[in-house]
Amino acid sequence: MSKPLENHWTAVVNGEQKHLEIAQTTRLVDVLRTHLQLTGTKVSCEVGRCGACMVLIDGEPVNSCLVMAYQCEGSDITTIEGLHGEEKGTLHPIQQAFVEEGGFQCGYCTPGMVISTKALLDAHPEPSQDQIETGLCGNLCRCTGYGGIIRAVRKAGERCALTETSTEETVS
Amino acid sequence: MLLNRKQSGKRWHLRPDGAPKVTGQLQYLTDMTLPDMIHGRVLRSEYPYARLLSIDTSEAEALEGVYAVLTSKDVPGLNRFGIATPDQPVFCEDIVRYVGDAIAAVAADSPERAALALDAIRVVYEELTPLNSTDAALAPGAPELHEHGPGNVLHRTEIKRGDAEQAFATCDHIVTETYYTPRQMHAYMETEGGLFVPDEEGRLNVYAATQHGYKDRMQLARIIGCPEEDIRVVSSPIGGSFGGKDELNVQPYGALLALRCGRPVKMHNSRKESVRAGLKRHPMKIEMQTGMSREGIIHAHRVRITADTGAYATLGAPVLNFCTEHCLGPYAIPNVDVEGVSVYTNNGVSGEFRGFGGNQAIFGMEGQMDRLAEIMNMDPWEFRRRNMREKNDPGPLNQRILVTDGLSQVWEALDRSELWQKHQSPPADPALPPWIKRGVGAAIAMHGAGLGYGIPDPAGGRLSLNNEGKIEVAFSYEEFGQGLVATLEIMLCDLFQCSTSDLSIIIGDTDRVPHSGSSTASRSTTMAWMALQRLQTPFRSRALAVASEMSDIPADELVTGPGGIWRKGQLPADTSEVETDVQKTGKSEKAERTEVAEIVAGGTESAQIAESYSGVSQYQAKLEAPSDFVVSYAELAMQGEADEWIFDTKFDYPTTPDNVVGGHYLYTYAAVAAEVEVNTLTGETKLLDTRHVVAAGPVINPMGYIGQIEGGSVMALGFTLTEDAVMQDSRYVTTNLDTYLIPTIRDIHTNLEVEAIEDLPEGDSFGPRGIGEIGSVALAPAITAAIHQATGVRVNRLPVQREQLVRPLNVPLQEGVSPS
Repeated sequence: MSKPLENHWTAVVNGEQKHLEIAQTTRLVDVLRTHLQLTGTKVSCEVGRCGACMVLIDGEPVNSCLVMAYQCEGSDITTIEGLHGEEKGTLHPIQQAFVEEGGFQCGYCTPGMVISTKALLDAHPEPSQDQIETGLCGNLCRCTGYGGIIRAVRKAGERCALTETSTEETVS
Repeated sequence: MLLNRKQSGKRWHLRPDGAPKVTGQLQYLTDMTLPDMIHGRVLRSEYPYARLLSIDTSEAEALEGVYAVLTSKDVPGLNRFGIATPDQPVFCEDIVRYVGDAIAAVAADSPERAALALDAIRVVYEELTPLNSTDAALAPGAPELHEHGPGNVLHRTEIKRGDAEQAFATCDHIVTETYYTPRQMHAYMETEGGLFVPDEEGRLNVYAATQHGYKDRMQLARIIGCPEEDIRVVSSPIGGSFGGKDELNVQPYGALLALRCGRPVKMHNSRKESVRAGLKRHPMKIEMQTGMSREGIIHAHRVRITADTGAYATLGAPVLNFCTEHCLGPYAIPNVDVEGVSVYTNNGVSGEFRGFGGNQAIFGMEGQMDRLAEIMNMDPWEFRRRNMREKNDPGPLNQRILVTDGLSQVWEALDRSELWQKHQSPPADPALPPWIKRGVGAAIAMHGAGLGYGIPDPAGGRLSLNNEGKIEVAFSYEEFGQGLVATLEIMLCDLFQCSTSDLSIIIGDTDRVPHSGSSTASRSTTMAWMALQRLQTPFRSRALAVASEMSDIPADELVTGPGGIWRKGQLPADTSEVETDVQKTGKSEKAERTEVAEIVAGGTESAQIAESYSGVSQYQAKLEAPSDFVVSYAELAMQGEADEWIFDTKFDYPTTPDNVVGGHYLYTYAAVAAEVEVNTLTGETKLLDTRHVVAAGPVINPMGYIGQIEGGSVMALGFTLTEDAVMQDSRYVTTNLDTYLIPTIRDIHTNLEVEAIEDLPEGDSFGPRGIGEIGSVALAPAITAAIHQATGVRVNRLPVQREQLVRPLNVPLQEGVSPS
């Protein structure tokens, strides 16, 4: 059997420059889970429906099962492992809110859900119910019935808004 | 008590697996890898029903990078599995019976190469006409799918009481209806898979999800032909199950491939393969005839249940037993004539699923109640009350059950609720366009817990002080998301007034836990509670006696507390409660962040390999340990031999004393009201508001309780409105989550309230009841009753067909406009 084509792939993943020799037709989800051992990005439906593999590419939420390596060459990619609070090793306010409000059960959808929430709150710091539903309707959860997730997103929104304000105050 | 975070106060307990889950640090068993692992794949049948004429694996075996190709002749032991009736072949020998049937398995150095190898296996079939319905399978002359017939009947059930035929003759009103329920899919987010690792001592380590590690071990040993002790099953954490991973799925293939290759083998089903091969909820046809007097008292009930169990038995028989028991509802009916049949077909395999046949039965029975009440022109809730069983009446199978007030309590609580009160004056909003209709409906249910009379249902557990000075519990239960570990923490902190950092919780590892039964049938919380009740006294007695010797303080002046043994009256007040979020948030923001840092650091360190789920305790936030105790647990643990600190118990789940197979003893009760909005132009139903009232004894873990009821409710919403794994000619048409539609965040009820009734009879020795299923069993009939109030349509088939609800627009036409 002939050796598969190898290609040089680079991107910034969670703030670190990554160089890999991989086929450019490798799916991003496999780049992350298999080549970079970032298994926080989950694999579930593989057709872009469930959102378990959601990551941020240049700040936009994307199902990583639908993206090929060549499509995100040179991009800035954030996975769940790249999300944290003010300091590395601390929980991001979104993550903290999910823990406090019971916004997860089995937890398998949670990384994708948290990533989508990050994108949602970046775009809408104080989201309406409709914006929450729009922002998260690409993420399926089978355990929670979404109740805890909605409560977590609301709380995270309040926290993030608070953090933003205090940062601005410090700056000014 | 209305259950929410605010009401829960200090009992709102943060899950120890929270931080690792929200950071993606937690390694599920399908995330695990080892450097020298290879990849396993299964070749499944091309046809739902066919004779296997030949299988040629030579081309696949010759491929570079392929380590093994296995077929039925490579199974050293029993080529069958199945929890109750082992009739499912690991690899088919001569017949395939459904599209998920396995014919061969391969292991290769990459998933892609494994897929190539599957393509290279040449199978010659003689295609047969599939039995694609229960009617086809029961038709005279239908081929028998299994030798253990008769015919294609897996199981029959029967309840006969009084003389239904005669009673019907005297009834003033009879309602006859046939109900159909869908082939619901569990749709757990993590598909089946795991890692199978043979070790140097010749043992096989199985890291794969199940609801009962010991049962998997027993079945795998039977397949491999080895002693059970040669296998270790690690089975938590799990990315959802809902009953769907209780049966073996990838385990036989991973195990056989790993042993053949002598290397770790990773298996992970794609979603499509998961749909094709995995279990579903039994589709059922339930014919019901219910007769009553002119006063509205039910005298006779006739039921015929037909369940499509698919190609193999799995738990088809117990599911039918449960459905049969629950199709009488919580009502006192003197004349009963019920027959059930579970039928083999060439459709997908039906098995265990949250609610376990209760959902289908309750949908039918509650539908009957609404139809009967309508004939009486009576409030449907009042009609139910008139016919409800009395507190001391026997259970549905005429068996003795534990007496509680649960049924009348949930009835009354729902009756009082604002939501149900809306039913009296149907909600109308003049601002709504005329094609939007609203209605309110309700339903009630009693739901059995545990496996039932006559089925082995062992329980037990182990409590010890381990050599690190942790209070350690070990159970063979699994954490598949329900919050079991958090619940155990709360129970232990309640019992010993200790802090969570004093605890070590071990589950999901057959090498480290005693056999205490499965996590199923809403049983784990009750069984863990009962085990701890039995274990706490010997544990405490020894701990206090040893501490007394060490300190010269009389044992009766000592108590257990955070960090160790304390003098009575000197326990720090704040730590005598379960550590809670409320306490944490009481600290400064900075302090909170520091704690979180510790959580995450612990997570990274331990995420290397999921040795067992006990690892989660490492994520627990560390409190500043108070140090005024008399003797620390660590010092205690150094006294005497280690095994003197280990306490075991064994018992069985409580069952009715009456000889009725499958009959339950402990029941939980639920009442649900639902308000819907139906768009009669599109047929779309939107659930606006629900109230679940649940009587299941004391709430141990409020966050978990709410989560289970909310999650069960939304799963039931899917069952009612959108979910059906459609089969055409015994092949799945809905093969993934883009066509099989589970509720999204947009589809759920915008308001969902949970009311918990915590009362139990004085001196009740069974403690909190499980609530894993009760949230999912009664919503469907409440929604369909609400749809009826909104539209006048009586729904008898789930999921609700939109076209049934579409109505011509009944508004005056504008002048000059004529209907086309």
